[in-house]
This record gives sequence, structure tokens and C-alpha cells, in this order.
Amino acid sequence: MRGGSRAERFAPYVLVAPAILIIVVLRLYPLLLGVNFSFTGDGERNGQTVGLDNYLELIDDPLFRTALGNVGLLVLLLPVAVAIPGLLATFIYLKVPGHRFYRSVYFFPAVLSPVIVGAIFNLLLAFDGPVNAVFGAVGISPVDWLGNPDVAMFVVVGVHIWATFGMALVVFLAGFATLDAALLDAARVDGASLPQVIRHVIVPGLSRTIAFVAVTTMVGMLTSMFGLLYVMTSGGPEGSTYLPEYYIWIQQGQMNRPALASAASTVLFVIMLVVGLLQVKLLRRAGGED
Amino acid sequence: MKQRALWSAVLVVGLATAGCGSASDTGSSSGGSTDKLVVWDWKSGEPSAAPYIEKAKADFATKHPDVTVEFVAQPFDQYYTLLGAAIQSGKGPDVMLFNGGGQIRDRVDALVPLDEYVAEDKQRLAGWDAFSKDGKVYASPVTLQGHPIYYNKALYEKAGLDPASPATTWDKFLADCAAIGKAGAKCFALGNKEGAGIQFWMSALGSGILTAQEYDDWIAGKRDWNSPNVKRIFELWKEAGDAGLNNEGANSTAMFNDSFALFQSGKAAHVIGLMSDVGHWKDFNEFLTPEKLGVMNAPVVTAGTTPSLAYDGGIGYGVAKWTKDPKVAADLVRSLTSTGALQAFYADAGAIAADTTIDVSQAGPAAATIVAALQSGKPALHVALSSKTLDLMGRVSQQLLSGSISVDEAVKQLAASDQAG
Amino acid sequence: MSRIRLSRWLLAIPMSLLALATIYPLLFTVNVAMKTRRDYILDRFSLTDTLRWDNISAAWNSVGMDRYFLNSLIVVTSSVVLLLLLGSMAGFALSQLRFRGSSALFLGCLAGLFVPFQVIMVPLARIMADTALIDTYPGLVLVFVAQFLPFTVFLMTSYYKTIPREVIDAARIDGNSVYGVYRRIMLPLGTPALLSVGILNALFCWNDVLMSLVMMPSADHRTLMVGVTSLRGQYSDDIPTFASGVLIAALPVLVVYLFLQRQIADGVAAGSTKG
Repeated sequence: MRGGSRAERFAPYVLVAPAILIIVVLRLYPLLLGVNFSFTGDGERNGQTVGLDNYLELIDDPLFRTALGNVGLLVLLLPVAVAIPGLLATFIYLKVPGHRFYRSVYFFPAVLSPVIVGAIFNLLLAFDGPVNAVFGAVGISPVDWLGNPDVAMFVVVGVHIWATFGMALVVFLAGFATLDAALLDAARVDGASLPQVIRHVIVPGLSRTIAFVAVTTMVGMLTSMFGLLYVMTSGGPEGSTYLPEYYIWIQQGQMNRPALASAASTVLFVIMLVVGLLQVKLLRRAGGED
Repeated sequence: MKQRALWSAVLVVGLATAGCGSASDTGSSSGGSTDKLVVWDWKSGEPSAAPYIEKAKADFATKHPDVTVEFVAQPFDQYYTLLGAAIQSGKGPDVMLFNGGGQIRDRVDALVPLDEYVAEDKQRLAGWDAFSKDGKVYASPVTLQGHPIYYNKALYEKAGLDPASPATTWDKFLADCAAIGKAGAKCFALGNKEGAGIQFWMSALGSGILTAQEYDDWIAGKRDWNSPNVKRIFELWKEAGDAGLNNEGANSTAMFNDSFALFQSGKAAHVIGLMSDVGHWKDFNEFLTPEKLGVMNAPVVTAGTTPSLAYDGGIGYGVAKWTKDPKVAADLVRSLTSTGALQAFYADAGAIAADTTIDVSQAGPAAATIVAALQSGKPALHVALSSKTLDLMGRVSQQLLSGSISVDEAVKQLAASDQAG
Repeated sequence: MSRIRLSRWLLAIPMSLLALATIYPLLFTVNVAMKTRRDYILDRFSLTDTLRWDNISAAWNSVGMDRYFLNSLIVVTSSVVLLLLLGSMAGFALSQLRFRGSSALFLGCLAGLFVPFQVIMVPLARIMADTALIDTYPGLVLVFVAQFLPFTVFLMTSYYKTIPREVIDAARIDGNSVYGVYRRIMLPLGTPALLSVGILNALFCWNDVLMSLVMMPSADHRTLMVGVTSLRGQYSDDIPTFASGVLIAALPVLVVYLFLQRQIADGVAAGSTKG
């Protein structure tokens, strides 16, 4: 297995090449074609170059603006979506009574199809459903969880977090493998409280994992909530739960506007790229590395 | 390890060079071959559609024994996205299912006009208009879809009303609703989560609100949004909501199928349902029994109007322009709309089939009433609107129910959208 | 010490409640799968009074589910193996080896993470059709690998960064080539991350609908989730049959997870004692 120095020098490129090539050929190159497509027209102007028309139409569309506003909301809710699996993984790592059991069952929602998850929560959160029945029993007036434009988005995001935190948990648990147990023991001997242990030992030790979970959770929220939205709200009420992904689906499938959908996808890509890279930077700095 | 890494790299490079050269082709290549036809739909996966598919296949096999047919059932939520991808790349099924109205009209560029192939079926089948554009037919109708007002006779009896004579005027209808409310049920089961509730409302009640002239003009594309009668459609929608005629939380209740379940379980006395697929006479017969299920005409709102049933072609099969031999594909469409196949579809899937010669006397009084009303029926008002306007109408209808918009403002927005596109 | 022990017991209460909330939907789905369509419409929550397996067998027998199951198994297994191999190779190089352009290459991988599938769907379908890879197992495997590779590389890179460079230096002094280090050091040390990312990739690929639909158009090449999703028509209210399909599709993932999470836990334990 010993290679010459020449082979050794090329070794890193050989190791990276397959991954890079696949990503470039099957993701970045089609992206370029897709972006290109967003400058052409739909319907009667099919195939013609229309410049920025699609983008101007997007800016004009109040629905797309709502969708972008909701992206902002998701970014604000992101810390919650990361903290929940992070804390749960910490407790499991610290061997809270029953940790083996929790570790097994917290993954359950992730294996169910979003259609089923959405259907279950539709029933639970129906106006005459069990949640409002409990509210009524303790004297709180019922809430139209999925029919009130001020509430619905939070409900859907909540269900999404609930349905996916098991995946982030798996990543966090793998991250704990890299944590130096000696530090933790030392903190305990010093009589540190749980919040202190989390703040001074676990968060710095897991900064890379946290950054990773933050980025992938955001990507998940922006690209895989379609199933839940479709079943739970159909983008409503009053268009309040539109996300770019849902908008793209409507334009592409229902309105037969593929080029406009491409423009919306391009905007979504740029937003994710910017927010994602900012996150990586911020979290790296917070973790005190590089 | 080294070899394996190199091997992967070689594979990918090979793929890359192959891919780069021809990624922007003309899209004229064909996906079809003459000895095999591929059909896309969202129906053939359902067990209740199996006898229909069998019948159609058998009929086609007698005409073209050497051609095999493959049915690919797609998930409905991604159906038009997939179809769009197929159309853009010029590769796709030979025959495909469409909903009537905007969904097919937006995509006629990818379809073969069928007039010369299906001329013989023109008389036997109804519902062609929903699959036509600029005087050409692009698909043969399989079912008829429309919006009868169903009512629960048992609840009428409980409320002390005569189930044999439902209200014929709006005022009488409101009085009946009050009686039903006293008996502990809601007047309407309404699901407006998808924004479809307003569409059904408009089409089911429209013939009692718009004058005959206004109705025909609307369908013909001359829509006068300033007419007080058009505005009345939305006023009634709002009034019904404000008066508590609907189940609570209508904006978060799915039409499919939570609102139908409310009607089926006797919690509401009326529902504006469908004729085919689901939420129809067959479903309701099953839960309420055929004797207790009634179908009523729209109550007269504007004096002098004659209410009629609103219906159009529901779903139909069209032929892709990239298919090798359109004649063979059109023959498959004809088999899919043959009397024998549609008979099976009506009986097992519970649809009002497009074939008007099918005997429905076994299906109970409600289905008989609907079929009898087809003669004087008219196209549904909402089907004439563009997908974009329908989408907007769904949202403003939710705002009307929640009170965050006025009727004037709603009609103004809709008029702008309708006139723009 | 005792404060932590007390708070552990206090924490067990909300964690148990959450556990209930995560088990309930699965139980609900099992319950619904046992019901008739009629029972479901009349009362969705009540416990089924009969144990009916008809829905499960109806879902399984509907349209060649056994074939779809096999397709899924082949495609998902190959994809995950390839993802782990390529992801760990790239992760190792990007985290531990110094070479020109490494940060640019890392950013390139990362950019792939942010490409929504919708925007590349049509161009990608065309590339696949032109290379005759559409409707083939390798075609879908490549699409899966491309979709989830950025995620995998990202995770493996951040995981391998935590391995002290001395470990690698020591192995090099022992006479290992770069590839030897990868095989003898990085692969074994990466086990917890590889297992985790393997589970997640398996789940993503197994549950995918859209990519499989676009890349495998013909009926007998479908994957299991596509078959299950197609059980729902436009307005279908036959939720019990659909729930049965979901259960059939969920079971393999669940079994694999329950089996592998033990290994991950052991890996975590092994890792935490190494310091």
C-alpha cells in the first residue's frame, strides 16, 4: 500500500474527486441549467428569453412575499429546532433514567410518512378535536389551530420539529462520541450544575455538531415541509403558511409555470446559501475555532 | 481502496462527459413505441378502479392484440409536476389522464387533437367542453363532475321539516336551517381548508343567483364582476358563515374528506358534494342509506332564475403528441371510454360516467335525481375561471369567513385577477 | 453531583411525556390500519374492536409491492454504501490533509447542500435520459448519492476534524500510506458517525418519493414509498389501506434503526472513554 511521494501528493485529490465530481455534475451543473431556464418564459413565451421578467413577477406576488416572510420566521425559530434535540441528546448522554428507551422511541416519528403525521395532527388539532376538548375542560376557549392565520404557521413548524427531531438526535449522539469524558467528570467533581455543564463543557465541545445540525435543520425546514403543508394547511389559511417550496410546487404543477418556478427555486437556493454560510461562520466563531 | 476510489472517479468522469454533451436537446425524441403504450393516471392504483381497467384493457386487446398497455398510477399530489417534467423533456406517457378545465387547457400544446378519432363517441358521451380548447377536443371524458346539494332526510324529519319538499327559495332555506339548528345539527358541512368550499358554493348556488343571461355570459368569458348578482354570491357566502350555518372551523376543515365525514355522520344536514370520485351519492348512500339521502335544487335567491345542476366533464384521457401512432393511442382512449368500461367505473368506483346510456336505476334515488338533472344542467361557474383566479378565490374566501376582508374588496381582487389572465 | 442526580430524575418526567407523544402516532397508525374505512370515517380515535389484517394484505397485494420492496432494498443499500464510502473519503481528506484548494472544494460540497431538488429536477431528468441512466438502478443510485452526498461529506468532515492530528501522524510514522491511514484509522474511528449518517441516509432514500418518481418512470421499477404514496388517489378517503402501506414501509427502517442505535451507543461509549 505504500505509494511514492508523487502518489502521496495526489492522494487528497483522489479521495475528494469522486464526491466532488458527482456533486458538480449532478447538482451544480443542473442548477446552472435551471437558473438559465428561469430567464425564459412560460406558456406562449415558452423558450424565449425574457430577462428578469420572472423575478419581477415574483417580487410583485404577495404570496411569494409571504413565503419569504415565513422563511424569516423559520430562521428565527431555528435555535429552538436545534436546541430541542441538543438538550434531549445531552440528557440521554447523561443517562437520565430510561435513556435507552427514549433513544429508541424518539426516532419513531421520523419513519412515518409526513402524510400520516399530517393526518394525525389534523385530527388532534381539529376545531372540535381532542386538544380543544382539553382546553375546554380547563376553561380555555378553543383555538382554530390550523384555521387562524396567526397561529397556523407555528403549528406546522412545531409538528415538523416534532416529526424530525429524532434525526438531529442521532447526529448529536454521534457528536457526543467526540466529547472528552474527562472534562465532564472534572466538571462534576467540581460540583457544576447541569446548566453550567451544558454551557461550559458540552456546547464548546460540540460546536461543530451544533453547526452541522443548524445548517441541515434549516435545509430540512426549507426543502422538506411540502408533505406536511400539503396535508395540514394547503398553504392556507389565507395563504399564511406558504413557503418557497410550496410556492414552487403550485407554480410548477398546478399553474403550469415551470420557468417561474425555476426563478423561485433560484431565489430559494440563494437564500439557503447565504443563511447557511452565515450560520457556519457565526457558529464557528462562537465555538472559538479557525 | 485506492483502486476502488479510482474506479468511482472513472465512472463519474465517464458519466460527466456523457452528460455534458447533450443536456440541452430539442426534446423531440419519443418515449413511446408502437408495440407498447404507457398510460399515466392517478386512478388505476385504487382497488375500486380495477374492474374498469380490466374491461378497458380487454376491449383494447380485441382491436390491437399485439400492443401491450402499461398503466402507471401516479400519486395525485405530484401528478401535474411529473407531467410538466415529462412535457418539458418531450419524453413521457402515450396516454394521460386529466382533470377537465384549466389543467388540460394549459397543456394542450403537448396533446393531439382527438376530433377525427373520436367522432363516433361524440353523441354517446357528455362533458366534452371541459376537455376542449379553441374548438378542438383534446381528451375523451370518463366521468362527469358536478356539485349537487345533498341533504339528510333523517335530520329534516328530526327538525320537523318535510323531507320530500326541501326549500325552493333562499328565505325558506334559512328558515329550515334555523329549525335544523334547533334540532342540534349544523346546516352546512363546509370544508374550506383547500379553498375549494367557495368553488362548490359558487357553482352549486350560482344558477339561483345569476340570471340566465349572466350565467351564459360568465361561461362564455364575458364576466361582469360589477354585477350585483355576482357580488351576491360572495355576500351569501359571508352571511352563511356569520350566521353560523357552517360547522365551526370551516377554514381548517378539509373538504376531502373531513367535511364529507361530518355530513356522513349526521352532524350537518346539507353538503355541497360531488357526483364522482368521492363525497358523492355512493358514499352518502353507504352511511345515510339511500332512502334518507336527498338531492335538492339550488334555492332561488334572485327572483326569476331557474336553478339547474352545475356539471362538466370530470376526468378524461388525452393522447400525447410524441406518441408513435396517435391512431393506436386514440383507440386506447376509446376503449377507456367504452360503454362496458364506464359501466364498471360507475358501478365500482361510484361515478356518474360520461356515457349517458348507462342505466343507473340501481344506484338509489339520489343518483337518479342527479342523472335526471343532467338534461337541463349547465357548466359549473368556477370551472370557467383560470387556475390562478381559483387559487386567489380560495384565499379571499377564507378571509371573508374570518372577517379580514370586505365583500367589495374580495370581488375587486378577483375581478383584477380574472381580467389579467 | 447530587444536584445533577436530582435534576436527572426531574428531567425524566418531561422526557417520558415526549416519549409518549412519539409512540402515540405509531400506535394510532397501527390502530387505523386495523380498521375498516367505514369505522375510520365514523370514529377516528376509538380503538379498533377487531384485529383485521385485510388492509395490510390489501396494501401489500395491491400492485406488486413485493417487487417495489426489492427495488427499494437494492437502490437504498447501494446508495448508502456508496455515500458512506465517498463521504468518508472526502471527509478524511478535507478535514485532515493539507492540500491546495481544499477549502474551495469543501465550499463546493457545501453549496450542493443548498440546491433544492425542484430546481434541478427537469435538467437532471434530461441528463439522465441522455445518458440512458433514467429508469435504471444505477441512475437512481447516482441521483440519491448526489442528493445526500453534500450532507454526508459535511458531517464526516466535521466529525473527522475532532480527531487529533497526532493520531494520524503516529500512523504515518508507522509506515502507513494516506490510503492506509484512511482504511486502518479513519474508517474504524469514524464508526459512530458512519453509522449515524448511514441510518439517516437510509431513511432519506427509503422515504423519498419525488426523486424516485422522476427517475424511475416505469411501473415495475418503482420504489416502495412511491407504491405506498400511489395508494392515495386524488380524493381517496381509504386511510386504513394507506396507513397499512405506511406501516409496511416504516417497519424495515424501524428495525434497522433499533438494531443500529445500539451500535451507535456503543460507539459513543467507546469514543467517550478514549479521552
